[in-house]
Amino acid sequence: MKVFELPDLGEGLEGAEIVSWHVGVGDKVVLDQPMVSVETAKAVVEIPAPWSGRITQLIAKTGDIVSTGAALVALADEDSGPEDCGTVVGTLPESSSANTGDAASSTPAREPTKTSEKSIRVSPAVRRLAREAGIDLASVSGTGLGGTITTHDLEQARPASARDGYEPLRGVRRAMAINMARSAREVPGSTVTDEVDVGHWPPDADVTSRLAGALVAACSTEPALNAWCDIERMERKLWDEVHIAVAINTPDGLFIPVLRNSEKLPIAEIRRRLEKMKADVLSRRTRPEDMTGATISLSNFGMLGGLHAALAIVPPQVAILGAGRIFEAARPSVGEVKVTRILPLSLTFDHRVVTGAEAVGFLNAVIVTLGSEAVAETSRG
Amino acid sequence: MADRMLVEAVRMALARVMSEDETVILLGEDIGRNGGVFRATNGLLERFGEQRVRDTPIAEAAIAGLAVGLAAQGMRPVAEIQFSGFIYPCIDQLTNHASRLRTRTRGRLTCPLVIRSPSGGGIHAPEHHSESMEALLTHVPGLRVVFPSSPKRAYGLLLSAIRGPDPVVFFEPTRLYRSAKEDVDDSGEGLPLNCCFTLREGTDVTLVTWGATVIEALAAGDHAADEGVSVELIDVAILKPLDFETIRASVSKTGRAVIVHEAPISGGFGAEIAARIADEALLSLLAPVKRVAGYDVVMPLPRLEQFYLPDEPRIMAAIRDVMSYT
Amino acid sequence: MISQGASIPVRFIAPDGQAERELPVFADRAALISFYRAMLLTRIFDEKAVALQRTGRLGTFASSLGQEAVSVGLASAMRKEDVLLPSFREQGAMLWRGVSPVELFLYWGGDERGSDFAGPREDFPICIPVASHAPHAAGVALAMKLRGEKRAAVAVMGDGATSKGDFYEAINISGVWRLPAVFVISNNQWAISVPVGRQTAAATLAVKAMAAGIQSARVDGNDVIAVHDAVGEAIDRAISDQGPTLVECVTYRLGDHTTVDDSSRYRSDQEVSENWPSEPVARLRQYLTAHEGWAKSDEENLIAECHNLVGEAADRYAAIDPLEPKDMFEMTFASLPRDLEEQRNQLS
Repeated sequence: MKVFELPDLGEGLEGAEIVSWHVGVGDKVVLDQPMVSVETAKAVVEIPAPWSGRITQLIAKTGDIVSTGAALVALADEDSGPEDCGTVVGTLPESSSANTGDAASSTPAREPTKTSEKSIRVSPAVRRLAREAGIDLASVSGTGLGGTITTHDLEQARPASARDGYEPLRGVRRAMAINMARSAREVPGSTVTDEVDVGHWPPDADVTSRLAGALVAACSTEPALNAWCDIERMERKLWDEVHIAVAINTPDGLFIPVLRNSEKLPIAEIRRRLEKMKADVLSRRTRPEDMTGATISLSNFGMLGGLHAALAIVPPQVAILGAGRIFEAARPSVGEVKVTRILPLSLTFDHRVVTGAEAVGFLNAVIVTLGSEAVAETSRG
Repeated sequence: MADRMLVEAVRMALARVMSEDETVILLGEDIGRNGGVFRATNGLLERFGEQRVRDTPIAEAAIAGLAVGLAAQGMRPVAEIQFSGFIYPCIDQLTNHASRLRTRTRGRLTCPLVIRSPSGGGIHAPEHHSESMEALLTHVPGLRVVFPSSPKRAYGLLLSAIRGPDPVVFFEPTRLYRSAKEDVDDSGEGLPLNCCFTLREGTDVTLVTWGATVIEALAAGDHAADEGVSVELIDVAILKPLDFETIRASVSKTGRAVIVHEAPISGGFGAEIAARIADEALLSLLAPVKRVAGYDVVMPLPRLEQFYLPDEPRIMAAIRDVMSYT
Repeated sequence: MISQGASIPVRFIAPDGQAERELPVFADRAALISFYRAMLLTRIFDEKAVALQRTGRLGTFASSLGQEAVSVGLASAMRKEDVLLPSFREQGAMLWRGVSPVELFLYWGGDERGSDFAGPREDFPICIPVASHAPHAAGVALAMKLRGEKRAAVAVMGDGATSKGDFYEAINISGVWRLPAVFVISNNQWAISVPVGRQTAAATLAVKAMAAGIQSARVDGNDVIAVHDAVGEAIDRAISDQGPTLVECVTYRLGDHTTVDDSSRYRSDQEVSENWPSEPVARLRQYLTAHEGWAKSDEENLIAECHNLVGEAADRYAAIDPLEPKDMFEMTFASLPRDLEEQRNQLS
């Protein structure tokens, strides 16, 4: 970098006033290019650049009086040129942070596999209709192109809502309608009834847990009723475990949570768990997995009313025990007529895989257990 | 009342505006003595004189640039580009100048020009004469793009385009020039440049198209009716600015959309309409939005032309396709 | 003086400020001082614009350093009713025509209002796509002719523009239709980094007029009197229905192409230095000082006046707030279509 001083402007002039700069800091000038206009006593003259270079400092300012030989401007040599800014218009940003990202993969996408696609095919409009109707699309089978769920399929899933007085079956009611229809369609149920004298029970006896315990005992006697039936394959599976589906009625409808491994549980534990199941159902904390995998069902419908009932069997189960309302009745006992409490029982069974004898044997075992004070308090072992 | 061909309707509109507004100037190649290679300007030189009906040298960029200069000076130039395959040299003038003159001068200068050009295939012409590239121009902000499909609509829309304050590119369907005929009343009434035309009402499928394919779409509508499908047909006609509301309302009603255009499918104007349907009418859709369009290939020469152009069977296939989803 | 295909540019004042021949009638003291004032103002405006760009207050700017005589010469030969179509290095012409420095700062500062000239309402805005305004000049000239007006359209472009198709199409159609147009070529020898010798094999740019069959002139573009004279004659021809003229003004681009160009990449300092002695402002100053009694006080006063004018304009420019974002939409069409209204509403 070199400093250029005001040259001798001749005619004995001692200095000049800076009138106007033609260049600014950073500008490039070439030899003889006018840099600054200065005023002398005689004229306004232009001072040209003494060499080519880049202005690094305007030492004298406009209006300054500068003597001959005083510093005027600083110029850097050509070599220390500016960086190439790489354009003739605008400004190209040079931040190193402009990361355009690495492709995760640069191979063309392969054919989408079926498993990666949503398994429900439904158009946006139909999806919205389903949501408005409260229809679970997973429960609807699609008859459109490629299994697409059509509006017709939705109609099948619920009746046309426009008809007078009709309301769509939703939620639990809907599930009941589907399940009962299926049960009636698939399972030929036969029912045998009987009664048991429970006069020996304390007045506040918990009926459901006793019933569950009796059920466990009866499954041991007649395992044919604690089974699953697969009629397509003409097979049945006898279960060692007794997972009892217990019908629990709520204002929202009937729920059937499963009491698992009841064969291992003492009555007190059965009772405790039944209480919890009921509480969970009422507070809607029951999870879907809690309602699957039952091997036999129990319905103490008598808590509400009724004596005998031919209940619906839920396939693949093959039996359901129903208990009616306990009532007072006169029954002979040892030559006398006594007033006692009677618990009516109904056993409905899948007659495709359970014989009448097995059914009656099962019911007898239930009666024996319920009728026996001692047995009611113990588990199967 | 006599039936008019589409090209005659164009000529009627030109004659009408020229007689009512002396600032309307026509320019283009062979439009004067020859009356235009398609006869769109036949007789106009004799009627209005060579100052206002000007045969230009072969210079498409200059034709468009002249129009910009004339329009900025308050004239109403209507330039003919002989075939839309020759419109490409004009694109610089249209995109860099005509479309932006108003906004870049904050309204001090404006550009009320019209560029007219025959567009589309099906006339067994040599190379470059069968192009459809309206999508290049619909993409330009500040340009109006119009593409009528019938003599009446050509008449009414051209009147409005010429009388309007904005630059307009006016495509005319070449193969309908002489085959589309209807009674056109020379009433001088323009059609508005802000709404689509619903040519057929229906409830099952919305068919959206413009230009010459309107004919195939009408035929498909009839054919579909025989198969129990009720087609609603929309002739877009005004591509830009698009009256999307008409299309949206129709798709909300039918739930199915099939878009038809001759131009190549990728990046065609149908893609814009499909994107808007997905944006604003998704929840009404019963089926995917389908496009029936030209392939992404150079327009073939006449021997294979018929396999390129969307025809009625291809449109029917698309209709059946969307109907099969539900 | 119009001549066909002359190879020596016509001039009246030599680089040293001496008159080589009798000046034309219009070149009296008052006129010459007005030319000098305009050239100095242009130069000071350019200096200010460059300084603003360097300090981030203006965008990319194209200085016309060394070319002031072409701009002032051609604009001063135009009448108010004529129409100017400039390229992007004609601030001297635009300032003469009544475009304000504030409007120029606004344009280069990135604001569309810079093209909404309060003064010359029909002049075209700056044209960036090289030569694409040449056909506009033909269209403007045609409008004037159709209306029977005695007016001319004057388009200005650089040497590089004469390579472009638009240029030829425009002079060709202007010639065959005998349009009242003047095409001024400001030949500053450089199209960014390509010298005119690599731009064309034609001996001169004026000779290209022959291909269109139109008249041409070739003048020393650093002599404001020669430029004014040639363009004045061309306008006279135009308005008397004698057709268009191509006027080549030979000058030199003493600065970079734009404020972000570094011309030392492609040309030598020596060449630039060698062209400084021919520059137009010093040339006229020397003539005025020697022959028209131009005094030191005149010079100082003029410098101060120009600085004040430009400084004030820069201050006013700095005080103007940008347009609002919604203004992007308003003038796309004569009235806002529904779609654009919806897009505009997305801003808030």
